[in-house]
Amino acid sequence: MAKLPLQGVRIADFTWVWAGPYCTLQLAHLGADVIRIETRTRPCVTRLLPPWPEGKPGLNRSGYFNQYNQGKRSLTLNYAKPGALDIARRLVETSDVVTNNFAAGVMEKLGLGYENLRKLKPDLIMISLSGYGDTGPYREYVAYGPAQVPLSGLSSLTGYKGWPPMQAGFSYADPNAGVHGAFAILAALYHRKKTGEGQYIDMSQWECAMGLLPEGILEYTMNGREPERDGNRDPLIAPHGVFPSKDRFENTGVMVDMWVSIVAADDAEFERLAVAIGRPEIARDPRFNTAAARKRNEDELEAAISAWTSQRSAAEAEQILQAAGVAAAMCAPNKFVSEDPHLKERGYWVYLDHPEVGVQQHCGIPWQMSRTEGKVRGPAPLIGQHTDEVLTQVLGYSEAEVARLRAAGALE
Amino acid sequence: MAGALSGLKVIELGEMVSAPYAAKLMADIGAEIVKIERPGAGDRARTRGPFPGGQTHPEKSGLYLYLNTNKLGVTLDVSRPEGFDLLERLAADADVLIHNVAPSDMDRIGLTFERLRSRNPRLVMTSISPWGQNGPKREWRAEDLTLWSASGICYINGGGMEHPEMPPLKAFGHQAGFQGGVHAAVATMGAVLAQVRDGEGEHVDVSIHESLVSQMELFFEFWPYMGMVASRLGQRPIQPLEIMECRDGYIFVCCVEEHQWRNFIELMGSPEWAAEEIFSDRLKRAANWDALKVFLEDWIKQQSALDLYKKAQARRIPFAPVSTMGDLLSSEHLKKRGFFVEIAHPVAGTHQYPGAPLKYHRTPWEIRRPAPTLGQHNEEVFGARLGLGAARIEELHRTGVI
Repeated sequence: MAKLPLQGVRIADFTWVWAGPYCTLQLAHLGADVIRIETRTRPCVTRLLPPWPEGKPGLNRSGYFNQYNQGKRSLTLNYAKPGALDIARRLVETSDVVTNNFAAGVMEKLGLGYENLRKLKPDLIMISLSGYGDTGPYREYVAYGPAQVPLSGLSSLTGYKGWPPMQAGFSYADPNAGVHGAFAILAALYHRKKTGEGQYIDMSQWECAMGLLPEGILEYTMNGREPERDGNRDPLIAPHGVFPSKDRFENTGVMVDMWVSIVAADDAEFERLAVAIGRPEIARDPRFNTAAARKRNEDELEAAISAWTSQRSAAEAEQILQAAGVAAAMCAPNKFVSEDPHLKERGYWVYLDHPEVGVQQHCGIPWQMSRTEGKVRGPAPLIGQHTDEVLTQVLGYSEAEVARLRAAGALE
Repeated sequence: MAGALSGLKVIELGEMVSAPYAAKLMADIGAEIVKIERPGAGDRARTRGPFPGGQTHPEKSGLYLYLNTNKLGVTLDVSRPEGFDLLERLAADADVLIHNVAPSDMDRIGLTFERLRSRNPRLVMTSISPWGQNGPKREWRAEDLTLWSASGICYINGGGMEHPEMPPLKAFGHQAGFQGGVHAAVATMGAVLAQVRDGEGEHVDVSIHESLVSQMELFFEFWPYMGMVASRLGQRPIQPLEIMECRDGYIFVCCVEEHQWRNFIELMGSPEWAAEEIFSDRLKRAANWDALKVFLEDWIKQQSALDLYKKAQARRIPFAPVSTMGDLLSSEHLKKRGFFVEIAHPVAGTHQYPGAPLKYHRTPWEIRRPAPTLGQHNEEVFGARLGLGAARIEELHRTGVI
């Protein structure tokens, strides 16, 4: 097997929470040596959040942290103590890329701004993945993951018809910025390979998210109209919705109700759907026999489909419709995603032994490569797990120096 | 100054969002893209709009115009042997071929990596598909909504615990396509870096479904770690984290840390109710959200959204407005950063579009040309690049190959 694409590339990873760690996870997947610089004085927020096995919290026990930091190393530093900043600078000197997702100005205050760091490493690539970007009047505004979806405009477009704006379900702008950041770094590495030049990348989570909304933004810039929220429907295609199934079960005191999403993108697919639900005549019915007619009579059409889905389990409905060549999929709760035979056969899941949580099921790499095939190389690091290893093997500190730094509190 | 990817030659066989977005990310920072569309109808995104004046026109679809900036456009029917031969000739001279042809159609037209690499061992071929190139669902039909559903994301969004009758809800637009596209751009660039190093290409298989499952935040791991289904019907652990109505719009009320809540109380003029024991920490505020909500709604509905946003941010409270499209276009911050770009297109006219998702300090992100009209660069690509004569091009046109 060939070497991984980023073998030999080192990332000094100052990011935390989610956007930044999702960025460097992609680079770890491609073979980079990602070294997270953490601190015990203020541990990464995701180390403090659930889920934890047996419900018992612990800095190394969170499924959230353990998911997005697979295959990375962890070094802990306390910048308030002498020697810590020097370690950070020496790490940058031996790295190809520096990542951070602090608000604008934070790295500069530590003396770790790009202008300082490029003196240590002239071809350095550095990215800042902040909420608002490095310039502009709001550059120092506080950005939290769940606030970026409303800010981006996505919430005002998302929601049921006639309802208030809604969230996406998760802090979507975070991983979105993270994966765009990974792309930006890879393209910068390409440019460096061709020219020898490094560079600085200013990335705003807000701007990254607006790039996903061309239909909304262009309706406004072309026609001066704010699009109306319309649930799961599509402006041109019907049926295009989420339908109730008959099955439900209880889990930890909450009712789990099952639904199935169905789309028939054109007349042929609609005819297959009509046959599959035992109503072949509706494909010829003038209320439903063209896309425009189906759009006009969408409420009636959805009622007819709901009558069929509500007699079946979501899994049955999905199977019957897919066998007929219709785009259908259950609205899978996490349990069903976890048990999906397709993902299992693709080898998507990662089962690595972690010293504190044992073997857990984790999400893997969403691509497969034929020559430089990567694997998730290790579980997420314990906090500070690799401090000594990085100091002695990467940065060349002696064991005596490490002991002195530890005694001074610099490695907290 | 040339873009970071200048010199990188990419062939795109893309429809709708995923492959076109991956290629757009590369095109806008300098890569040279030849986009192949079906003769006649072209990319399905041409039918999607929005259209100026609401009038459907294949050269005026906003989705298409946005996704295909900086690309050369040709028409080619790759399902015919003469068409496939021209695809092979284009790929022989390219660094990357990126496509989202469905696996069943790949089988039908014989589009395989083995076949293309025999002419060009350096080629990186990226195949984006709903479920990946192997496994029992390989040929399952999929659309954006069904992928967003199958990934688990729909299930965690909806009307909340008071509204179990409302279905799981997708986010607006074509988010599955965008995520498939950007994850594919990452994997492709990884393969390109290995190609530069080793002089060899490879096949990259990107699953849109897996790209979505991979970003479920903490919600997926609740099942393996704790046997808990994460649901839109569950209670929020922390409050306030809610979209609420102002007198002129909506605002996202967000107090995660205790100091943020204290600052918010001050901003509200320290009302008496805020001193109640049942609101004294973020967990209690979540448990007693029904009561808290009434007090907050009462105050917030008298405020102006943008004004409250600025006042909150001045006290380091991470509120954000629920931006309308109009708010985005008139934002002083985005104007100062020059986010929106004006693009003039020969048929669709001049409009403002979302701009750079990243700013390099050295190499540009720039619009060098608008999206192509259908087949606009047939002569340039088939003639000048592949060396076909005018008579042969004319014949390919006549027989519907291009």
